[in-house]
Formats: sequence, C-alpha cells, structure tokens
Amino acid sequence: MRSDADLVRALAALIALGLATTAIAGLTGTIPGPVAATALLALAGLKAEIILARYLDLAAAPIWLRGFRAALVVLLAVLLVLALIPRFA
Amino acid sequence: MSPSEPDGWGGLPGEPIMWILIASELLVFGAGLAAFLGARALDPETFAAGAASLDRTAGALNTLVLVTSGFCAAVALRRAEAGRVGGTRLWLGGSVALGAAFLLIKAREYAAKAAAGIGIETDAFFTLYYLLTGFHALHVVAGMIILALVAIRPVPANVETGAQFWHMVDLVWVLLFPVVYLLA
Repeated sequence: MRSDADLVRALAALIALGLATTAIAGLTGTIPGPVAATALLALAGLKAEIILARYLDLAAAPIWLRGFRAALVVLLAVLLVLALIPRFA
Repeated sequence: MSPSEPDGWGGLPGEPIMWILIASELLVFGAGLAAFLGARALDPETFAAGAASLDRTAGALNTLVLVTSGFCAAVALRRAEAGRVGGTRLWLGGSVALGAAFLLIKAREYAAKAAAGIGIETDAFFTLYYLLTGFHALHVVAGMIILALVAIRPVPANVETGAQFWHMVDLVWVLLFPVVYLLA
C-alpha cells in the first residue's frame, strides 16, 4: 500500500497556507492593499497546486501538472488585475 | 493494474473525462470569480461593505474542513488500491461527514444573513455571493452523494473517480474563499 506520509504532508502544508491566509487577511488594514491581494491570491495558487499535485496525484504526470499550473497562473493573474482596478481607477 | 497507472494519456491519473470536468469547472468558476471582481471594480464601496459583513471565521473554518475532507478522500483511494474495503468506507465516510460539516457551517452563514434581512437581491455583491457559494454548495452535495454511492461498492476505479470529483470541489473553494471573503 502506498504510504500516507505524502498526503499527511500535503494536508499539513494546506493548513499552514490557510493559517498564512488568515494572518494576511488580518493585516489588510496594515499592509498595502496590492501587497495583500497579491499574497492572498498567491497563497490560493499554492493551495490549488498542492491539491492538484498531491490529492489528485498530478505530480505523477509532470507535463499535465505544468499545464494546469500555467492555467492557474493565468487565472490568478487575471483575478489580481481585476482586484487591483478599484485601487487605480 | 492500479487505476492511477498511465493508460496512454501521458500519465494522467484517473479518468480523463473527470479531468475534462475539472478543467471546465475551473473555467466556469474562474469566469464567475472574474465577473465578481469586475462587478467590484464598478462598485467598490458596495463590495467592500459586503465583504466586511461576511463571516471570515466561518469561511476559514470551511477551508480547513474541505482540505481535511480531501485528505480523507485521498486516503480512501489508497485503502481501495490496497483492497481494504472497510478502511476505504471509513475514510469515504470521513469525507462525507466533513462535507456535511461544510454545509452546516454554510447554512448557518446563510441563516445569519437572512436574519439580518440580506438576500440574493440585496445588492450586486450579495447576488454574486449567493450565486457563487450556492453553486459551489450544490457541488458539495453532489460530491457527497457520489462518495456515498461509491462506498457501496468501493472498487479502486470508482473510488478514484469519486475522489477526483471531491478534490475538484476542494480546488474551487480554495480559489473562491479569498476572492469573495478576503479581497475587500
């Protein structure tokens, strides 16, 4: 049977990223908005990467993982640009 | 042959049709989140007020619940691959139970909003909030039903397909939560 250790590490990483997200969200009045928005979306991207690579086992198919990662980066970049619009309008 | 072994799709694990579903759901929710932020750009004050009224603690808790339920589903697949039927059902049950916890927390959020007189037609923020989170919640319900059905006859291929759907639900939430709840 495949070991569960990699899944436990993935869950631990997801929880840690969740805590980091909570911390950044709590600092939104303190740190600049664009910095917070970038950090929050980057953390979301990292969580998504872990779910794709470890839970969905896409790490076993590096080409497909790179493809989904590229699509995620594009999506998050679009969301970041839209999130920053009110600040620069 | 393990259901996760490659079968001519360049090593893509699981069912190819599920990956098409995952990609399409990411596109649909991605478009929804982009529309949300586009609407926010047109009315930043309304969206700032709406986001500030959301229960971030509930949202963060639901993130913890879903990533843990995803862990359970992934472990269930490992048990299925090892031929351990009882263990597979136990971990699938854990996933379903945590899915129910997610829906309970979400229902309490909705109830609190309703008690405050806030509904889907209150303003643009809440229209999109209810559409996005409600559509996601329907996927959680569907995923719970799928996992429960898979648990009846937990052969590895079925468990893998069910788990793939569940991880998609998880994947959408980790993108939805920061955009809707945190990008005030």
